[in-house]
Amino acid sequence: MTLSYFPRLLCISLATFFLVHLALGMGVALIARQATRLGERLRPHVAARCMLALRLLPAAGAAFIVVAVCLPSYLCLEPEAPTERVGFGCLLVALLGTALWSVSIARGLRAAAGSRHFLRGCERAGRPARLPGEHADAWIVDSAAPLLAISGIVRPRLLVSRSVVSALSAEQLAAALRHERAHWTARDNLKRLFILLTPGILPFAGGSRTLECAWKKFAEWAADDRAVAGDAHRACALAAALVRVARITAAAGDTDRLAARVDRLLRESPPTPAPQPMLALSGILLLAASLAVAILQPSALYSVHVALEHLVE
Amino acid sequence: MIQDTLGHLELKVMEILWAHGESNVHDVVQRLGRPLAYTTVMTTLDRLFKKDLLVRRKWERAFLYAPRWTRLEWEQKRAGDFVAGFLASPQASGDLLISSLVDAVGQYDTALLDELERKIRTKRRELGRRGKT
Repeated sequence: MTLSYFPRLLCISLATFFLVHLALGMGVALIARQATRLGERLRPHVAARCMLALRLLPAAGAAFIVVAVCLPSYLCLEPEAPTERVGFGCLLVALLGTALWSVSIARGLRAAAGSRHFLRGCERAGRPARLPGEHADAWIVDSAAPLLAISGIVRPRLLVSRSVVSALSAEQLAAALRHERAHWTARDNLKRLFILLTPGILPFAGGSRTLECAWKKFAEWAADDRAVAGDAHRACALAAALVRVARITAAAGDTDRLAARVDRLLRESPPTPAPQPMLALSGILLLAASLAVAILQPSALYSVHVALEHLVE
Repeated sequence: MIQDTLGHLELKVMEILWAHGESNVHDVVQRLGRPLAYTTVMTTLDRLFKKDLLVRRKWERAFLYAPRWTRLEWEQKRAGDFVAGFLASPQASGDLLISSLVDAVGQYDTALLDELERKIRTKRRELGRRGKT
């Protein structure tokens, strides 16, 4: 098939994205289980960041290669020939790349629409009220569901069902609300959106589940630590709140995970939150910038261009 | 749980009862604004009664029907049921942009919850003792 200059660029970018994503994804899938086990030994917020970084690595790495390597190489070295033949293999891989993105964007949009729908339902079923110790109104929802959650990406909305308000003591409710505020501070809903919008580590396979579950677990532990702030009484209150909320309905969640959280909270020295260093982010940015500078050398660009020519053929 | 889906005729009948209060079948037929058989309306009212949306009492060989809930109450309860149903659905476990205190899908073991509560009580007593000493 013959394609003109920019459609060819799009085709090459999608194909490169797919191939790099596949290679990185296979590497991540190989180390995912060991990484989650290693995460148990780290502080929860560090472990959560590691799991998130690993989950996003294939897509982020592939996007980086496309933007920092393929685009400059193609734009600098590809002659502006009106049309050129693109091989079937390249087209097929580009189509797979398109499908990969389409699936994840559809998943992200479905999650956003579902959340909006859910939020509307909560608004219809409740009314805003100020809970003790809170600076903003929470939505008290008339429902038997064990709902105590924070929703939203830009504006936080605290959702609490009446059954939860009546089941918890003031101390337990305060601990549970601190836990939800910790989720907001950590921007966990935004991270959730990133996870949903990013293609899975192995294209069209369920290989991301291990890392996503581990991220959820460590994010919950990190929020627990932040809510408790090293205070044993608060830890007890939060543990009691968890069990009470789990009791409200027969339909609840993973018992082992709940037991692990309660045991963490009740141990001899209650968990303390750690400072949030910007060191890791700075390191990643520095590494990306160094790689980009190295790759933008003329000889490197030329090698990449040769590789792209092979891909097109 | 309140039945949350109402047919067109059921909703129309509910609206008449919310607007006019207690009515018999004949009153509802007259207020419908379209020709419908008496038996059709009677069946609809009976169905709404069975769905727990109406209360009824007998008066001179006929039933008088009235809404069990105000419109606002019904809408709130319907939304509450929707929230509970949504949280129990598989989508709630992963594909919602909310951070919940506990997951809402699956099943907890009551014996284990009892055990966890016992541990919490023990810890509380221990903290209480430490506070006193």
